[in-house]
Amino acid sequence: MLVSTCRRTKPQFRLLRRNHSTLISRDELVSKNRTVNALVSLTSESSFSHHQDVSLPLHGVTVAVKDNICTSGLPTTCSSEMLEGFYSPLDATVVELLQRAGAHIIGKANCDEFGMGSLNVHSSHGPVINPHQHPTSSAPWESRERRSAGGSSGGSAAAVSASLAHVAIGTDTGGSVRLPASYCGTVGFKPSYGLLSRWGVISYADSLDCVGLLGRNVDYALRTFDVLSQYDSKDPSAARPETRRRASEACKEHVSQLGLDNTLQKLKVGIPQEYFPSELDKSILNPFRRTVDFLKSLGASIIPVNMPSTPYALSAYYVIASAEASSNLARYDGIQYGLRVEPPPGTDLTKTSNVYAHSRSQGFGSEVKKRILLGTYALTADAFDNYFLQAQRLRQLVRQDFDNVFRMPNPLRSTHQHQPDEQGVDILLHSSAIRTAPPLASASPSSDSEDSLSSYVQDVLTVPASLAGVPAASVPAGLADDGWPVGVSVVSQWGFDKLVLDIARAIE
Amino acid sequence: MLARTRHCLRLSKVPNYRHAHTARTVGEDARWPGWRVVVGIEVHAQIKSREKLFSNTWTSDLAQVSNMHVSPYDAAFPGTLPQLNPRCVELGVRTAIALNANVHHRSAFDRKHYFYADLPSGYQITQHYAPFATGGLLELPNAGKAVRIHQIQLEQDTGKSTFDARRRLSSIDLNRAGTGLMEIVSEPDMESPEEAGEYVRALQALLRSVGSSNGNMEQGSLRCDVNVSVNKPGEPLGTRCEIKNINSVKFMMTAIASEVFRHIELLDQGQPVAQETRGFDEQKAETYALRSKEDAPDYRYMPDPNIPPLFIDGTYITNIRNHMPELPSATKARLMAMGLTARDADVLMTVDIGREVGYDGALGQGAVSYFDQLAHGRDTKVAVNWIIHELLGQLALRHETFKDNTMSVIQMGELVDLVQSKKITGTSGKTILRHILTHRSSEMPSTIAAKLQLLVSPDTDGTALEAWCTEAIEAMPRESEAVRKGNVNVLNKLLGHVMRTSRGRADAQTAKATLQRLLS
Repeated sequence: MLVSTCRRTKPQFRLLRRNHSTLISRDELVSKNRTVNALVSLTSESSFSHHQDVSLPLHGVTVAVKDNICTSGLPTTCSSEMLEGFYSPLDATVVELLQRAGAHIIGKANCDEFGMGSLNVHSSHGPVINPHQHPTSSAPWESRERRSAGGSSGGSAAAVSASLAHVAIGTDTGGSVRLPASYCGTVGFKPSYGLLSRWGVISYADSLDCVGLLGRNVDYALRTFDVLSQYDSKDPSAARPETRRRASEACKEHVSQLGLDNTLQKLKVGIPQEYFPSELDKSILNPFRRTVDFLKSLGASIIPVNMPSTPYALSAYYVIASAEASSNLARYDGIQYGLRVEPPPGTDLTKTSNVYAHSRSQGFGSEVKKRILLGTYALTADAFDNYFLQAQRLRQLVRQDFDNVFRMPNPLRSTHQHQPDEQGVDILLHSSAIRTAPPLASASPSSDSEDSLSSYVQDVLTVPASLAGVPAASVPAGLADDGWPVGVSVVSQWGFDKLVLDIARAIE
Repeated sequence: MLARTRHCLRLSKVPNYRHAHTARTVGEDARWPGWRVVVGIEVHAQIKSREKLFSNTWTSDLAQVSNMHVSPYDAAFPGTLPQLNPRCVELGVRTAIALNANVHHRSAFDRKHYFYADLPSGYQITQHYAPFATGGLLELPNAGKAVRIHQIQLEQDTGKSTFDARRRLSSIDLNRAGTGLMEIVSEPDMESPEEAGEYVRALQALLRSVGSSNGNMEQGSLRCDVNVSVNKPGEPLGTRCEIKNINSVKFMMTAIASEVFRHIELLDQGQPVAQETRGFDEQKAETYALRSKEDAPDYRYMPDPNIPPLFIDGTYITNIRNHMPELPSATKARLMAMGLTARDADVLMTVDIGREVGYDGALGQGAVSYFDQLAHGRDTKVAVNWIIHELLGQLALRHETFKDNTMSVIQMGELVDLVQSKKITGTSGKTILRHILTHRSSEMPSTIAAKLQLLVSPDTDGTALEAWCTEAIEAMPRESEAVRKGNVNVLNKLLGHVMRTSRGRADAQTAKATLQRLLS
């Protein structure tokens, strides 16, 4: 396998040194977490033991679970005041599968409220502090420079980066796993939409939400992916078993044709020209160039490609995600569960809005409210065609861009084997982020206006893969000029998750 | 319950009245001369499936204790997702086939948003943009027309909220939340309250016959929203008003008539009719404004991002079509072909409407199926008479309906056979029927006949009969003397004595002849 090839050539690219195998004690975990704020609830000490069956695929693996994924034994708050102290009656399918595979869930990971945010500052648990420390810094780790861990799965990425867990489960709606992975220097993998069950994953935008994996290295992500990639009849958007089989056979065959065993000579790597927006900080391009050079040195062909619909992806994403969010978050009304703020005495209770408004006004944070308002507007009769439907059309174009650029056909759209398109590429490679982790403003939750606008721009690089539902992994590519980690993203066709991980492992 | 049977039986007489009425509507209606009435109806029929539309929680009836059939999905707990119940699709397709609607290969589900406490997710999943069936027809024999169906869609029912005015508290019951509904939308093809009434009743009978819904308005398993407008013949249609949440056919007809008069009154005064949604006050028998068109909520319809499109292929439809239960029109034609009068067929079918509709399309045992089994290998007229005149008559006397009947087809069959082969007399047969109903007996009629000494003795030479007659003459000397003197009417008193002593085993005609012979 390629892995062995790469292991031999890899060390020079491994700029982040970390001891990946040792587990830390619970006391150490608690004290470390104090300056990271990655975990917001911890599995009780009594159950802090390990599965005895060593033959289980995830035996001895510790996992942090993002706080928008349901666990019956720990609160599931989505970092929202709305769900403070909320215990779900159910375990998410991914949580059940992890436990069955012998993994040990250590606790719940901080995140942006309901997954909405790119900096993990919109959280009722407070912001996550990036565990990374500048290599030349002489300050104690605890008083390192305070930078964002990225979002929305910031707690998940930080937990892995700070060695609180081997693996973390996050969710990725528009980049929420890949971006914090890039900022924190971990592997972040968003599988193809529909492969990992969403049962028990609290919806932000159903058509985009994916369970994603963060790992200390690609191998952890792969092992976890193998355990979690199961058809679940409880998820109506799950890829059907026959589709999975078809995709996995196509992927296997493609990988064997590429002959990745010793060389990347047959691999075609596309560099999308639209993924270098003006906002991209040029100083982070060095690690990206090194990765390109490395792949070239292994024989891969580097091909510039065009994905002309990319500039529209961001607005399409925000319309669709906000519209779905406004719908999905309608259930938080203080009636069945969650925060309930009683209306002041004398309120006319015959109007539903009077009963709900107080709970919703207090329960939701500013970013969530902003997106609910935007989404509600996009769905009104007057705006529907111009916003929601228009966004769906753009999403189609973005999907088409990906289908056009890859040499393998999309298994979701073709039931029989097409001749591979020899003009196409096998993977796309681009920088995961437009910059390294931004400093956390000393004042808590970022002020609105410009600040939030730039955090939306970041999503330019990650939302296209979300809109298309294709697999994408961010792999640490070393440190940028400012001494902070930056990731590169490997993206491929739907169902070619193993190819993405194979190449990610080569880069690692 | 008796009242209901009577009410239903009375309905069978309505046709005569309707025909007269229909004849008039071609021109105009005596109630509103010079005006034309246009009515369209949206029916929400609860699907009689064991499980809800998108969860495997059981559905409930009104007897169920509140909030017993509620899963995390039904209560819109975060992290839960819908799973489409294929049984609901099947019953929907059955209904569409019965209505001759066009079932679409591809349909999809949408979310309709509004905030209300009995709608825990804040949206109802429905088929707004792409319903699973469109087109179709429902025949109204009495009105002599067919009403066109616009579309049929699958959607979720809401929970139920009840307001306690004294405590100023709303109680929410989620038993009903998420139960499958079929929304059946008609074209505005009805032209009178009576036609609207016939449409709803015909639809109820059809839904019940295919087993897709109870169709019970009183219990809320079928609800109607009615659109009414009036115009002068030859002029464009008037502004329509929608009357919501009417819970009986009778009230619906009253509501339409009242709404028609209201529109005419406004128009006569030169005032426009405002397009609005109205409620119906059953006490005052009039409608009242709920909200105007301007206040109509924006439901912010959105394709449901969780549920993939519903694909229904031809094989699936053919399969359902091949196993379709008999539709009411076909049942009536078949019964009449078997030799029943239209009246008897109507009675059987009216009673049949009251049968239990099974879950997931299982067809319950109703009066028609009881008749079919009883008539198998027997004289159909005899069979239908025993059911209508004896069994239903006895049940009615007991204030029971056919649902309460405990007498099995096998028991009834043997009873009919015993009478037909003269092993017991008709009178004894009725006695046995009463005995079975009274004692809820599962014993066979022959056993009961033996126990009650009702079997006609093999009196081949007539000695027993002669003995009963002699005994009667001796016991009633004065009457006997009167007969001898030619007062034939008194003979019946003697005959009564014979029937009593013989416990009904004597054949009345033969006994009469024997008495006459002995007294001549």
